[in-house]
Amino acid sequence: MEVKILSAKFDIKDAHMLEVAKQHGAYSQLDKLFSMEPVAVIEEVKNSGLRGRGGAGFPAGLKWSFLPKGLNKPVYLTVNSDESEPATFKDRYILVRDPHMMIEGIIICCYAIGCHDAYIYIRGEYTSQVKALQKAIDEAYAAGYLGEKVAGHDFKLDVTVHRGAGAYICGEETALLESIEGKKGQPRSKPPFPAVEGLYGCPTIINNVQTIASLPYIIENGAAAYKQYGTEKSPGTHLFGISGHVNKPGMYELPLGLPILDVIEKVAGGVLNGKKLKAIIPGGSSTPVQTPEDAKDLTLDYESMAAHKTMFGSGGIVVLDETVDIVKLVENLAQFYHHESCGQCTPCREGLGWILKIVKKILRGDGTSADIDLLVELCDNIEMKTVCVLSAACTMPVRSYLIKFRHEFEAYVKKGASAQANVKQG
Amino acid sequence: MSDRSKLIVTGKPFRFDQERDAEFERLVKRYPTRESMILPALWLTQEQEGWISAEAIAYIADRIGTFASQVFECATFYTMYNLHPMGRNHICICRTLSCWLRGKQEIVDYLKNELGLKPGEIGADGKFSLEEVECLGHCGTAPVVQVNGEFHESMDVDKLKSLLATLK
Amino acid sequence: MAEMIKLFVNGVEVEVESGKNLIDALKVVGIEIPHFCYHPALGADGNCRMCLVGIEDGRPPLVPACKTPVAPGMKVQLDTGKIKKIQQDMMEFQLINHPIDCPVCDQAGECTLQDYYMTYDAQDSRMTVPVVSKGKKMDFGCGVVHDQERCVLCARCVRFTRLITKTGELGIVNRSDEARVTTFPGRPLNNRYALNVVDLCPVGAMTSQDFRFKQRAWFLTRDKGICHGCSKGCNIFIDHNREKYKDDIIYRFRPRLNEQVNGYFICDEGRLSYHAENEGRLLAARVDGKDCSVDHAVQAARKALGPKILMLVSPECSIEEMIAIKALADAVGTKLSGYSDGYIKAGDGDGWLIQDDKSANRAGLAKLGIDATKETFNGALNSSDAVISFNNDLFIHDTGSEFRQKLEKMKVIAVSTHNNTLTQNAAIAIPVASYSESSGSVINKDGILQHFGRAVQKNTPLADMTQIAGMLGSPIVTESDIASEMKKVLPSLTEVIPEGGLKLTESEAAHVPA
Repeated sequence: MEVKILSAKFDIKDAHMLEVAKQHGAYSQLDKLFSMEPVAVIEEVKNSGLRGRGGAGFPAGLKWSFLPKGLNKPVYLTVNSDESEPATFKDRYILVRDPHMMIEGIIICCYAIGCHDAYIYIRGEYTSQVKALQKAIDEAYAAGYLGEKVAGHDFKLDVTVHRGAGAYICGEETALLESIEGKKGQPRSKPPFPAVEGLYGCPTIINNVQTIASLPYIIENGAAAYKQYGTEKSPGTHLFGISGHVNKPGMYELPLGLPILDVIEKVAGGVLNGKKLKAIIPGGSSTPVQTPEDAKDLTLDYESMAAHKTMFGSGGIVVLDETVDIVKLVENLAQFYHHESCGQCTPCREGLGWILKIVKKILRGDGTSADIDLLVELCDNIEMKTVCVLSAACTMPVRSYLIKFRHEFEAYVKKGASAQANVKQG
Repeated sequence: MSDRSKLIVTGKPFRFDQERDAEFERLVKRYPTRESMILPALWLTQEQEGWISAEAIAYIADRIGTFASQVFECATFYTMYNLHPMGRNHICICRTLSCWLRGKQEIVDYLKNELGLKPGEIGADGKFSLEEVECLGHCGTAPVVQVNGEFHESMDVDKLKSLLATLK
Repeated sequence: MAEMIKLFVNGVEVEVESGKNLIDALKVVGIEIPHFCYHPALGADGNCRMCLVGIEDGRPPLVPACKTPVAPGMKVQLDTGKIKKIQQDMMEFQLINHPIDCPVCDQAGECTLQDYYMTYDAQDSRMTVPVVSKGKKMDFGCGVVHDQERCVLCARCVRFTRLITKTGELGIVNRSDEARVTTFPGRPLNNRYALNVVDLCPVGAMTSQDFRFKQRAWFLTRDKGICHGCSKGCNIFIDHNREKYKDDIIYRFRPRLNEQVNGYFICDEGRLSYHAENEGRLLAARVDGKDCSVDHAVQAARKALGPKILMLVSPECSIEEMIAIKALADAVGTKLSGYSDGYIKAGDGDGWLIQDDKSANRAGLAKLGIDATKETFNGALNSSDAVISFNNDLFIHDTGSEFRQKLEKMKVIAVSTHNNTLTQNAAIAIPVASYSESSGSVINKDGILQHFGRAVQKNTPLADMTQIAGMLGSPIVTESDIASEMKKVLPSLTEVIPEGGLKLTESEAAHVPA
């Protein structure tokens, strides 16, 4: 099932080094690129159907075409390497194993959109990765692929690594921009959208690492070649991260559209230690959970996910075996999202902490059925009332657990009630 | 998150050493506004000192030419900035989803016992500090532990024992 | 006049000004959209989520009104179940970690949380888990006291220090429900407008050290006034109260919106200048060091009037008072000077609200042709043997020392609102009502004529300056006489002075009658 498009050089020794990467085709597309008109590049990417690989799945070429024309302002590219959604660990492989593929992608994108200053926003936790990335960029500068004249062409491009410092929210594109500007990572209200008013108030494109890294292949082989992978509406390949209770967790490049159960079974080696499958988180921790029953006809593409009332997300699949305590899992997730709430919008700032405390109360055995109802209601009350979707990233999955696994919450309530009754009798 | 607004005032002035000074000047040219240097400058401080004092925040604000309150906001918002000295070996254990599923609690319990520290604490001798952190992005090789910035993947108690033995 | 457009609110067509956001535009036609973080002077932030409204057929269908400009034909929904539920939910989120300590909170009675709770929430608390605890009674400097637990994180105060004063002392640190407003250690509030954050704060998180626990808001009578702290003439509310068995006392000044003059704000000095209305007042008339009745003092003063007495009028006097005094000087046939250089603190102004000139109506002197030069004053002084000052404190701010010796040899009559060096050494001292206790008009340094009414009613009211001028023999003292005199010198004043003031024309402002 696996294919090697983006991951073609991942297993080649020292492919992160420029000399080795070059031997395997890195930067080989630049002459072709500069012979094309920028609009032709955008057109090719549009035709490839490449969709943003950060989570939202917005068509990349279309996003680029939203840049206003004729503004007397610089255009910026920011590459989103914040990769903070729990269960997501794909971009890291690109940064460490084939950073030159991404740098080449940055050159392609910048040429297409007329950008001369690109920023790579990398999450602060990626300590060794940021060093590897910086080293690759330094190599690219030294070799003339970046700087005043990119590969000898009359095109200037500076690439700067901007390091985050522990804030999930900076994966949200406008929070990311705020962070580069030296502020707290608090998302901006949209409109205006970044393509019109982004970094430093200028037109800005924000693309995920994997999206950018897909570009050299598309330029080299054309849109049609890219589209031979995946489905009609979700073309191409994706670096899926499979984690949790499987025998062979890890990162796998797969075409879109494969049945999720097959992938778990055949690619990831099935449920760990032969245990029974309890549930699947299909696209990162913020995506609504799927029971094995739900997942029967679920395939790994945007459309099937939507039809199953869940999301493709970042392609981070988490497998839960029969031993997983769903209430504790919800506590784990609620704590994450509460911790990561930027504190800007009232419902998210106050509400996620409230949800967490109620779940803890239920786990302590002090909860009531009314508390479970309240949790469901709070999810509704918070969701889509905020500037960004962090709150929904919490409430959507939490609601799905509350509905699909309500009996587990009720069990805690019942256990707590009988324990209290015993105390009273005793 | 817990309150991070109680800064430590050392009573001693802070400034970048020569190396960080040069790096600051190199980076500042990369941005159209000086405020963009807030996060990089906080990182440079942490690299230099291991943590960030009130004096360092004031220094950064004045050097950049921005409000101390804005640097203060950033220092407290971004949780990787240490606002007090850490142990010589700072151990971060990922507590989120996949690591939780794959037994991060055993790691935490072992470290608690072995080091006599709860997450969030620093040992009296300054050798270790322990912290449970949110997702570190190594879910496929969970559970993951980060020591002084270095990742140790697919951890278990045995691996942890030999890792601890190498730390000074 | 901005272009008017038509849109629908709850299905009803309304006509509003274009170019405004929904909150401001609909407010004009009496429709309230609840909000915490939006403030017209600070712009839309969009963090409180209280102003979410529905837009029928809109994309998206739910928008923050503060960030949504009005558009023709727009169908705004405020009364749907969905919107009402959202408002109630937002209130619930605001209140779960709020201490609900209204009985001991200064803001009670004028608190947005309280008001909105009654209008938009009114449900019992469902909070059964521990609340977040934060800092209380924090000294932020400049007399601002902060309570982090009461705060709704609207960031108005933070935006004020960053956008308006550009001093940036405040910030919101941390994130999640640990977020809180604070100052950086060693860099407290340090600007001359800091107390505006108390007014801007929609809840009781920002309180004024000066006002804390002095009065419950609902006992205060709010009267409109004009600050007399400098020549800007900022519009204020004079909040005062007569407690049982006590006198009518001012408890605070607050800024009052006037786009033409001060916008939404006032300076701290002006704000706290109300103290001078309560304290240090000249209350009893005095002749030769002995207290006496005002009548007695006026009679004594009358005897001293003649061509050899120099009349000195204050640039703090209202136009009306100046007219009466000028008429008196003409009647007596003596010189009138408005010399008052001591009221000018050179270099103190900041180009915004704070002016060098600490008097409220210097422009009025010019308008009435009252000479205020030092040379004329000095000359007049040399040819006089007595001085009568109408609230002009020559020695204010430790100035006028060069005239001290001369004045010591002269008979000094002081008609004054306050005890000061002049009244202390005056042979005759006559108390008069100050601006908060009387009415009048002043012209600010930008040539804007503004009227203020009487706010405070003392148990034993002091006579107005015009009344004293009349008792001393001024022929122009009745309201109608003064009004017609005013219209003579201020041709643009055709009727009454409009709310918000009258901008005098250029030529008029520069006009000095011979």
